[in-house]
Amino acid sequence: MNPFEKIFNYQILSRLEDSGTFMVTAHERSWLKTMLRHPAASEAFAPGTLARLAAMLEHDPALQTDGLLLHKAASKEKQVYHALLRPLRQAITGRSLVTLSYGIKNGRSYSEQTAFPYKLEYSMVKREWYLLWYHLRHRALMSTKLQKIAEARQAPCPEETYAKLLATVQSLMENRKRTADVIVVRQYNAELSRILYAFSCFEKEVRYDAERNEYTIRVSFQNDECEYLLSKARFLGKRVRLARGGHMQRRMLESATKALARYGET
Amino acid sequence: MAKESFDKEIQFLRMLVLTSGAYSRQQFADRLGISVHTFDKTIKRLKEVVSSVQRGLPEEQSKEFAETIRYHYLDSSDPMLLFLFRAKSLKESESQRLSLLLAALHEKPLTAMELLDACCSALPASLALPDEKTIRADLKYLEQVGVIKKTEGPRPYRYRIHNDLARELSADELNDLYDFVDIMANTQLPSLQGYLLRDGLKKHRSRLRGGEPSIEPFIYKYHYYSRILDEAHLFALLGAIRARQTVGFLYFSPKKETSYASKNTNPLFERDTEGKQETVLPLKIVYDHQYGRWYLLGHHHRHGIKKYRLEGLTQIDEGESVSEERFAENRALLELRLKHSWLIDTGRAVKVRIRFFNPGPGIPNFVKERVLLQGQWGTVEDEEGGDSFLYEIDVNGTTEIKPWIRSFGSSCEVLAPPGLRQEMIEEWKEIKAYYESV
Repeated sequence: MNPFEKIFNYQILSRLEDSGTFMVTAHERSWLKTMLRHPAASEAFAPGTLARLAAMLEHDPALQTDGLLLHKAASKEKQVYHALLRPLRQAITGRSLVTLSYGIKNGRSYSEQTAFPYKLEYSMVKREWYLLWYHLRHRALMSTKLQKIAEARQAPCPEETYAKLLATVQSLMENRKRTADVIVVRQYNAELSRILYAFSCFEKEVRYDAERNEYTIRVSFQNDECEYLLSKARFLGKRVRLARGGHMQRRMLESATKALARYGET
Repeated sequence: MAKESFDKEIQFLRMLVLTSGAYSRQQFADRLGISVHTFDKTIKRLKEVVSSVQRGLPEEQSKEFAETIRYHYLDSSDPMLLFLFRAKSLKESESQRLSLLLAALHEKPLTAMELLDACCSALPASLALPDEKTIRADLKYLEQVGVIKKTEGPRPYRYRIHNDLARELSADELNDLYDFVDIMANTQLPSLQGYLLRDGLKKHRSRLRGGEPSIEPFIYKYHYYSRILDEAHLFALLGAIRARQTVGFLYFSPKKETSYASKNTNPLFERDTEGKQETVLPLKIVYDHQYGRWYLLGHHHRHGIKKYRLEGLTQIDEGESVSEERFAENRALLELRLKHSWLIDTGRAVKVRIRFFNPGPGIPNFVKERVLLQGQWGTVEDEEGGDSFLYEIDVNGTTEIKPWIRSFGSSCEVLAPPGLRQEMIEEWKEIKAYYESV
């Protein structure tokens, strides 16, 4: 299977778009057939749809990757699909509000909260789905595990309210944006590729100071992601050094000091 | 196997994505060992593909290319780098013909002669008209990639477009399919064909809605989105494993400063002599979720088990077939040696013991949660007093597990082996020194 088949050529693609033609190759069907074997498929489709898809793909071979492709250091796959994805996706794309009942970490629960849902987010680290929403009464951005949502009922949202809420969410997100500068310690420049790979899951900008032969990665993140970024920095250890932003630096110092104390070193 | 393998474009894009904006044109060109002129030409060509794939964004063309393909989390559901797989060059006449054939078949099933007529009447006057032989060759190709198929019935055969997926599903079912494809392409491997299918379905849905823009509801956090660049080689290698065939390739070890960190010219664009020509029997492909990187593991006739980063592989060619016996023997050996690899270390196994500290009463135990989630085959046992738990794992060497342990900071203490314990102490001392002056 060649991923560079001429059928995928961009000129063909844009001409098909002009003529309104939908095309699907054997490669894509084989991929789909393989994915339909995943347990998530039975949750994602009604039984009738699943059977029809299976019939349509009957003559296509599945991709043969069993035993050939190995995953290492992955988080356990707790969840790929969740029953609430369909109704919540409908609410988001239908520009609606939802009335939510949900629990939080310490065991408390809330019911009938009016929410403006704006994204469904899957964490590749935690392997779980979250609903990102705006709490109308508390005027706060929220992130709730779908697993913790007991009920979500769609509620209509007037068009002007929708536009206003969307603008509010965007500005709150902008306010929560932080940046940190990660300097690649020069003696580890040879490992730059590995280090850049590790940060490739963030929005980032890299600067290179040719005179000092020094790389600085400016990472953008939301303030609630601070802990994850710190764990990445600890993960890379002495290869990188956080510059700027006293808080993050103090946290790194605290980690190192406390870690040494665990070993009886002061 | 692909003759045009896009090694240059892949390397170019990978560097652009990873170093996003770090280098000037000259520095970038220097690092790839190309001239600034070639740099500009490559950018121009890639821009052309991008703007053609991404309709309705004329102003994008003038934007800096690096900025265009930069990762923006909230818009990340459309995999920007997918356009690479659209970059295969094609003669104008061929792309015209193939799309005309598909558009005609989209209307109704037709015979080869009817298609020849349809093609001749619709082609622009500037292009030479195709003959029957050309059309038959086109149809054979389209049938081979599974886009069309022959209908049943007597000769002359009629061809029809093979897109039941779109035709036979209701609008709601199509939404469910789109969601499923989106989720699986983003969370499972391989993903490339899934992204291509997602792209097709997205455009189809948008047409059904009369072009009304849709809201993309899903996003994927901490996703290594550039991994699809490495999927370019994946299928050739999987094919070779299945066929029990050796592969030859020119290898550039990412460790050897050939591309990013040094000013050595990259021979990819000039001479082929600085990479290393390797021949290996491919056995397994490993995806490392920690860094989002791919590895090829194979058997080398002289050196035994060898490991390569997929990003260093260029000019892959199929070699000779080996016997099933020899393949099975090598694979069994590799599986045995990999059994305790945190990633791909096939060295000697050691027992690592770590004490993890619970965050304290009343705080959700995120430490244990993470150890259970990411600790692979290690075991967990609570300690008396409830303040801590022990984690134990037999693992090949300590190099690969060490970053993971370190990421827990002061929430853990390495108990064994003593060497690893000492290394941890030394590293924390060094890290502490980085910040003491702050």
